[in-house]
Amino acid sequence: MPDVTVASSTIASGVLLGGMLGLTALGLSIILGVMRLVNLAHGEFLLVGAYCGLFLVQLSGVDPLIGLPVVAIIVAGLAIPLYRLLLQPLANRGAEAQMMTMFAVSIILQNAFVLFFSADTRSIPERFAATPLTVGPVTVPLMYLIGFAISVAAILAVHWLVSRTGFGRDLRASAADPAAATTLGVDVRRVQMLTFALGAACAGVGGVLIGAGFQFGPSSGASYLLNSLAIVVLGGLGNVLGTLVGGVVLGALQSLGGLTLGDGYRDVVGMALFLAVLAFRPGGVLGGARG
Amino acid sequence: MTRSRNFAGYAEVAIILIAFALLWFAPLVVGDYWQQLGFRTLIYLTLAEGWNLMAGSAGLVSLGTSCFVGLGAYVAFGLLNGMGFPLPLTLGASAAAGAALAVLVSPALFRLRGLYFTVGTLALAELLRLIMVNVSAFGGASGIFLQNDPPALPVLFHYALGVALVASLAITACTRTRASVIFRAVRDDEDAAAQMGVRPFRVKLAAFAIASALAGMAGAVQGVKLGAIEPYGMFGLQWSIDTLTMVIIGGVGLRLGPLVGAVFLIALGEILADYPAAHIAIAGVILIVLIRFAPRGAVGFFGSMEQARRGRAAA
Repeated sequence: MPDVTVASSTIASGVLLGGMLGLTALGLSIILGVMRLVNLAHGEFLLVGAYCGLFLVQLSGVDPLIGLPVVAIIVAGLAIPLYRLLLQPLANRGAEAQMMTMFAVSIILQNAFVLFFSADTRSIPERFAATPLTVGPVTVPLMYLIGFAISVAAILAVHWLVSRTGFGRDLRASAADPAAATTLGVDVRRVQMLTFALGAACAGVGGVLIGAGFQFGPSSGASYLLNSLAIVVLGGLGNVLGTLVGGVVLGALQSLGGLTLGDGYRDVVGMALFLAVLAFRPGGVLGGARG
Repeated sequence: MTRSRNFAGYAEVAIILIAFALLWFAPLVVGDYWQQLGFRTLIYLTLAEGWNLMAGSAGLVSLGTSCFVGLGAYVAFGLLNGMGFPLPLTLGASAAAGAALAVLVSPALFRLRGLYFTVGTLALAELLRLIMVNVSAFGGASGIFLQNDPPALPVLFHYALGVALVASLAITACTRTRASVIFRAVRDDEDAAAQMGVRPFRVKLAAFAIASALAGMAGAVQGVKLGAIEPYGMFGLQWSIDTLTMVIIGGVGLRLGPLVGAVFLIALGEILADYPAAHIAIAGVILIVLIRFAPRGAVGFFGSMEQARRGRAAA
């Protein structure tokens, strides 16, 4: 076991990364809840956001954190035609057809990333990434804390959107019973399209935050997808705030796993946790809106 | 009805046996290139047959083929290197290991319906790959070498042929006997099937275990051919992508789907051999188009065209 400073800093970093990934997981969760679709291209949506952030910085020199709304709009704007052209025509064909289609989109995007951006690992240049923040024995890059704070703020904003607005009411109705919602005059297709765009935007913003604090490459998507899924099942499906808690818990456990077993075991912990939760508490550890 | 079904079943077994018997003599006739191609096609056919049984007969969409391919290869290397097992026995052990892992993880993967099986298999494959990368006893990231030289290409071809034959006969047994009715009942309506006294869990588990055993065997033969295995290749997502792509291209749930898909994908790979990245992206585009416009794949698509043509001719 390493000394206290290293251990506490590693765990703090894990918690903050988990919180950042919570936003991406939230996007996955609302798409799953409303569309019954496991968006297998979610990791690639995150990478689209990360690459957007990177090129925004390189082209305009704007701080990536200020560019976040632009990235959110770009990724959501990419998701809408994907929904209209690929997913909507499959709406009545069962969950598998849409999921396979998004899987195909994910492999096409991966190849496009390699083709256009090369297979290099990159990181978004961000002045806070190199600035250390020390509180007691804990030292983390300031960027982690900023990313965490933005992620929490975005998750709370989505929570407000889902629980307090008219769109949120339609969203919850469409998730609970699409047929009944249609009868009551909810345009379920429109809600699904907007949900898909919102979920993609969550992934895109998450991608900028993660891309500024960590490294990413064209094939990093699968790992982010699986960790996000682990967070969703930990927090419970349809539980917006549970997703944040799930992210923090996953991040802390991954860091603990990395510290005690070796760094390579971080992702092992995530996958093992995911399968264990599926086996023993499929409704989510925190209890979800649906089982 | 029963008699005609039995007859069709025997006819299918006879066709399979004759085809494989003829293929047995292929190494005498064709050169290395075609034997290599044939080997790959047979391995892919084995994987696709198993996947087709899961998806077509039990409604299970797996993204975990690589998990069982890798497991089969690692088990085979362990037994060959560590205990000096003969190769045929090793293949049986790899199949058993695949089936055992399927049974072991089934409580987690079948707990929630449909989508969770798919993401669960994906996570399982990633978990196993990461474990192999990290545990030095399994060779770590650099992998394991086979201590003895791998057999010659014609011998390997015959092993692949044997594995594909086992796969074909197993699928015939599942689709031409009473079992097929039970499989379909579960796929079409799990609740109704349960009401009729079928146990959906057992039926799905049987399909998953058979497919996993086949993938384990295929992985073992593939690993032995390579002579050296490492986790990124043997547990690579590519196995899962290719397997799923083959069956969707050929036609989910159709008897000839895996064969058509395997031949198509291998041919596509050969045509685009100089552009490996393009090959994968094109497979992705084909997937999207087929799912949208020909959900029953190439066999289903041309089958219904043929029916329509006959219908017009009759009218």
